Amino acid sequence: MLEFRKLTKEFNGKRAVSDVTLSIPAGQMVGVIGRSGAGKSTLLRMINRLNDASSGQLLHEGREITALTGRDLRQWRNECAMVFQQFNLVGRLNVLTNVMSGRLFHHGFGTSMLGLFSARERAFAIRALDRLGMAHVALQQTDTLSGGQQQRVAIARALVQEPKILLADEPIASLDPLNAKIVMDALRAINTEDGLTVICNLHTLDTARHYCDRIIGMQDGRVVFDGTAAQLTDRMAREIYGAEAAEAFNEALTSTSLGGARPAPAVVAV
Amino acid sequence: MTALSFAAITDADVAAVRKSHPGAFGDPRLRAIRVAGWALAIGYVLYSLHLFEFVKLFDSSERAWRLISRMVIWQDMGNWAYAQIYVGIAQTVAMAFLGVLIGTIFALGLGFLAAKNTMPVGVVRHAVRRMLDVFRGVDDVVWGLVFVRAVGLGPLAGVLALWISSMGNLAKLYSEAIENIDRKQVEGVRATGADGPRIIRYGYLPQIFPVFLSLSLYSFESATRSATILGLVGAGGVGMIIIERFRAGLFDQVAFVVLNILVVIAVIDWLSGMIRKRFIGERGH
Amino acid sequence: MALTLTMPPVQPGQDAVALFEAHRAAIRRQKLTANLLLLGGFLVMLFWSIDVSRFWPESLIAGVPRIFEYFGSVMPTLQWDLLFAGANAEGRFPQGSIGFWYNDFWTYLSLIWETILMAITSTLIATALAVVLSFLAARNLTPAPWVGVVARRFLEFCRGVPEILFALVFVFAVGIGPLAGILAITIHATGALGKLFSEVNENASMRPVDGLTAVGGTWAQRMRYGVLPQVLPNFTSYALWRFEINVRAAAVVGFVGGGGIGQELNHVISFYSDDRVTAVLILVVLTVTLIDLVSERARHALIGKESLK
Repeated sequence: MLEFRKLTKEFNGKRAVSDVTLSIPAGQMVGVIGRSGAGKSTLLRMINRLNDASSGQLLHEGREITALTGRDLRQWRNECAMVFQQFNLVGRLNVLTNVMSGRLFHHGFGTSMLGLFSARERAFAIRALDRLGMAHVALQQTDTLSGGQQQRVAIARALVQEPKILLADEPIASLDPLNAKIVMDALRAINTEDGLTVICNLHTLDTARHYCDRIIGMQDGRVVFDGTAAQLTDRMAREIYGAEAAEAFNEALTSTSLGGARPAPAVVAV
Repeated sequence: MTALSFAAITDADVAAVRKSHPGAFGDPRLRAIRVAGWALAIGYVLYSLHLFEFVKLFDSSERAWRLISRMVIWQDMGNWAYAQIYVGIAQTVAMAFLGVLIGTIFALGLGFLAAKNTMPVGVVRHAVRRMLDVFRGVDDVVWGLVFVRAVGLGPLAGVLALWISSMGNLAKLYSEAIENIDRKQVEGVRATGADGPRIIRYGYLPQIFPVFLSLSLYSFESATRSATILGLVGAGGVGMIIIERFRAGLFDQVAFVVLNILVVIAVIDWLSGMIRKRFIGERGH
Repeated sequence: MALTLTMPPVQPGQDAVALFEAHRAAIRRQKLTANLLLLGGFLVMLFWSIDVSRFWPESLIAGVPRIFEYFGSVMPTLQWDLLFAGANAEGRFPQGSIGFWYNDFWTYLSLIWETILMAITSTLIATALAVVLSFLAARNLTPAPWVGVVARRFLEFCRGVPEILFALVFVFAVGIGPLAGILAITIHATGALGKLFSEVNENASMRPVDGLTAVGGTWAQRMRYGVLPQVLPNFTSYALWRFEINVRAAAVVGFVGGGGIGQELNHVISFYSDDRVTAVLILVVLTVTLIDLVSERARHALIGKESLK
């Protein structure tokens, strides 16, 4: 259970996230929607403390996340993995090393500086890559891969962290529709099979409707909608997106509804 | 697709992955090369530290401490002969300015002689380049000492030394700039029916002037730094004051002089940055 | 000096050509004044410099002939027929042979070898120190703002003071010998490389660093995995370039007792004005040029490999 209590973030006096109070039970797949600048990213980045809250509290299983420092904070970050819009992999390292870097929290100074990963870690990383259908490129330099492939590598890195929560910050915004579908299917599969809580920022509405158990709508840093996809009316959605409604509703853009049907979680296209 | 767990990875799993993805466990040859490289570098440093008697550093704490404390605690500041210090600094700047100015004038000619597109005769070009190598291959201080021997103690030797070294550096950089010139612009000017001097004035000069100016300014900055130490060998400037007072054990005054030089060099960097901006614009070179 | 380059809009009833000409004249006047001011400043600087550095015509007239005289006296006397003559029974070479000119060749060579070792050692240590300091000093990576400020000031100090001054101080502290030279060059090179490295770091992409923060990596792990792979080719190229400079520096720290060929160079130039001066100078120039050549090749190979990717 992840609990937000009046969580607020101010940048230079401007409120990016304002008094967010929510609770997210373990194992849920949550989609956060809203127009750009609505505070989705900031909200997500406050969960793993890439951004620090200005006021309010965040609790996970009763532990106060907003008060963590040092090793406790890093441990928390290890427990809630994140994938980014721009993948944030190290382009000049090979895929395998990028995935193994998900184990860095378990390493001391010496082994991590020397780049010594154990055989078990290597096997584990290959398994994770294999699960996303990426084991065949394990030794390739990461920046030679396509965006969709890189995002799958990033998910593999998140998996080797063995997290409890997976945060996805616009994971498909830089991808073409086919790759977007592959990535969203993978996230959904992780949610159902591993029981991970997945919190996902999404720009397009139909993706959120298709994949998420619960949708949170944000506007100007506030939560203005919290419910299931069925509860989200067209009028409500138009209000959330405002001027960007046309773009968000345009299914042809970064839509994942290629097949139209709800995806079968067990199948991940390679 | 099934859930993964690190704890559940057994030796059998490792063996299986090792079989299916042998490359994932690192190339043993590559690893050996890497280990050998590090061992070589670290071994070399340790050996050379031993060779150069690094332990002396730890035996010297008493003298080092005396030196540092004398540098920090400034005594008898009324009698520091400030006029002499500031004349020395002024002389340093003047030496650098003159040396680079004369060096620039000579480098203008030599640069064209050393560039492929303006000097088609290979023999001349190579002779000029080798000469420039000699000028650049020897540090300013060495030139300073040589000229002290030739013309005696004083700033004249310093100016000559800075002239030689800046000429060598600038001529090489100039020739590279001339070789990198955009031919199309020259062709364009030629197409208008311009004669020789006009081609140089409108085809070459607008392209190379900003680069040359910028290079000379950089050269002036670095010459100011070099000029401060030329005095150590008697070639004029503030270095003579530094070494005199250092030998006399007046470390506090040495520290003061060095601080002043650092400030002067910072000011010169700033000024030349302004001039560069004025002539070349924000892009800079 | 700001120039107004935009032309005022043409009002009805005005002649566009006349307006343009007036505007052009104004710009030219502005430019002319600015250039005249700069020229004036330049001339003042010139005459002041000539005066302060005593670069007067009479001292030039007295000095310049002596330059030729000196360089004449340090040229070796070589005779074609004796050029490759061997040593006689007492182990002496006849005057006019290369053997005579380079009588102390092996002494010079061992000193040059020492000089190169000094440069290698100090480049290696300085590079290692500069890598660590550059991460502390880079504005985007520093673990805490005050650490960044301290690291930047420290690097500024290290590269602000010339090697030979540091050498002077270290010779006092640890005694005459190559150790003082190595320490001096290492400190100066750390400052210079640290600045260059931290600029490279500041241009590195922060995305991988963010990614590793999210993994739960420590600061050191973020630098090692997020930044180092991005900047390593540049670091190597800069370190090689610094090695070229350090060889030159190692050849002169000996002037104040810092070891290497400089000690011999200083001795030879200060006490003799004969062919020994050119003998050492030529060896130094050859060494420096050779090392430049090799290192330049290596750098170009490195950059070439980069641009192919």
